[in-house]
Amino acid sequence: MAVPGALVIVLFFILPLAVVVAEAFTDGGGAFRKVFADVVFWRGLAGTLVLGTVAPSVSLIVGFGVAWHLSSLPENLRTNLQFWISLPLTFSGLIVAYGFILALGRSGFITLSLSYLGSDPATFSGFLYSPAGLAFAYSYYLIPRVVLILLPVLVNFDRTQIAAAQSLGAGGIRAVMDVLVPQVMPSAVAAFCLVAAVAIGAYGTALALVGSQVNILPLILYSRISDSGADFPSAAALSVILLALCTLVLAAGELYASRRERRDAAS
Amino acid sequence: MSIQLQNVTFVYPGTRVGVFGLDLSIDDGELLAVIGASGSGKTTLLKLIAGFEVPQSGRIVLDGQDVTGLPVRDRQLGVVFQSYALFPHMTAWQNVAYPLKIRRVEAPERHRRAVDALARVGLKGMEERRPQTLSGGQQQRVALARALVFQPKALLLDEPLSALDAGLRGEMRDEIRRLQREFGISTVHITHDQEEALSMADRVAVMEAGRVIQLASPRELYDSPATRSVAGFVGEANLWEGVVDAPNAVSVPFGVLLTTAHGLGKGQAVTVLVRPENIMVGIADGIPNRFAGTIVRDRFLGAVRRYDLAVGGLVIRGQTGIRDPIETVSIRPEHIRLLPSAS
Repeated sequence: MAVPGALVIVLFFILPLAVVVAEAFTDGGGAFRKVFADVVFWRGLAGTLVLGTVAPSVSLIVGFGVAWHLSSLPENLRTNLQFWISLPLTFSGLIVAYGFILALGRSGFITLSLSYLGSDPATFSGFLYSPAGLAFAYSYYLIPRVVLILLPVLVNFDRTQIAAAQSLGAGGIRAVMDVLVPQVMPSAVAAFCLVAAVAIGAYGTALALVGSQVNILPLILYSRISDSGADFPSAAALSVILLALCTLVLAAGELYASRRERRDAAS
Repeated sequence: MSIQLQNVTFVYPGTRVGVFGLDLSIDDGELLAVIGASGSGKTTLLKLIAGFEVPQSGRIVLDGQDVTGLPVRDRQLGVVFQSYALFPHMTAWQNVAYPLKIRRVEAPERHRRAVDALARVGLKGMEERRPQTLSGGQQQRVALARALVFQPKALLLDEPLSALDAGLRGEMRDEIRRLQREFGISTVHITHDQEEALSMADRVAVMEAGRVIQLASPRELYDSPATRSVAGFVGEANLWEGVVDAPNAVSVPFGVLLTTAHGLGKGQAVTVLVRPENIMVGIADGIPNRFAGTIVRDRFLGAVRRYDLAVGGLVIRGQTGIRDPIETVSIRPEHIRLLPSAS
């Protein structure tokens, strides 16, 4: 039974990955040296790291609020709302980008509606095409991921624990910090790492929204294979770097979770 | 320390549910049980004392101090919740030490006091265990230790035994009573289990529709319930609608019952209460109220036997240790209580 699955993994994951890695090292690591020497790469890395921090942070804060509210609702209503919240996950990044352009672009209906109230369409829509606007668009499909990861923890959280902490002398904020935060933290870290990896690697939304105006690694990678003078070794080296970055973030999350598990098991 | 509720009213916003004009006083070192059906307002009463809800009118006085508007954290009350509300990310001793940590007790001292408190509730050696690895009864004990360790002014128990199985419940009743006496702490114990209330409390308050309808000692509550609903809620009861016939007689649907002198006027509607254990099997000399009927239900429970005897279209519920066939029962006049009619 495992053979077809293994075959798919070999054909569509391991083999392409091996080809990319081999391509990156064709001239003894020369492609990496070339990439590292390029100032565009460093700018792209910085942009990616900012995007990979801001978008997950915003998503985590908003997602937590949404999940907390959902967890207090009756089960039927919660299940229905969960469906609607998960819907953005089924859209491709391109569709999300075009949706944002139609709503918030230079001639988007929200932009034009607001212009009647005196707002400048160019300034307003300019936000959408900036790195912050990109983070905003990313949040659209990162927030549902956060909600889906945090919701089970919050549904199972016995809120009388907060009341108990207060009755024992803790103020409201202290009760939350002492009781809720430590219990939610492992899932929050996992959610952050997961959506950070998605934000670092995503490129469809970015390409459609900002083209090459914003320096992030996925767009630099795209430009290396789409421009007339395609540079496959550099593109492969960038792929390996991007892959390493995503893996690093996910590994950090896993490391935190396993340490925590070991600590819990020890007591 | 004493707790007083003075004319306290609280209604949940947008509803007519709450408590109305509550006057209640819990003496120093007393255990007051509050019983009532779901929605009677007993948990609301606890929330008001604890400070989780603030009354719209009236005062709550704790040890002579008006605490009506005081936040929960400043009331110094130990609360044990139905779900225990232990912190799963902390060990047993860390749970117990938590209120001491908030009070900035030095680390070694709070460890010593938490371990000592756990020993007092019989959990010596369990200090490093997490709540989820403890049994229900052990979790209950941790919750009790945590609520008592900081020497609170009073103890509030919100149905603390309802999640335990029957055997353990009995054991924990005695344990809570022992600790309550040992600490000499005023305690409000909310429960829907009348047996638990009768066996543990110094006094019992019966609540219905947001009001206390009777406040009495367990014996008085059982022997002289104020209303039909109290009689029905506390213990098993035969409750028949009747009309006063004479200064020492009432007529009920299946005949006339001779009672002791009751001082009620002829023709007055009453509810007649007779406890099942006061229904005597057979005919005894000098007992006037004798009724013959047919057994329609017979349940053998080991030490006792509960039966329903159909008499004149009604049922007399009895309880006895006698195992012989039952055809006739008798009721002593002094075992008949007359309550205000429900209609």
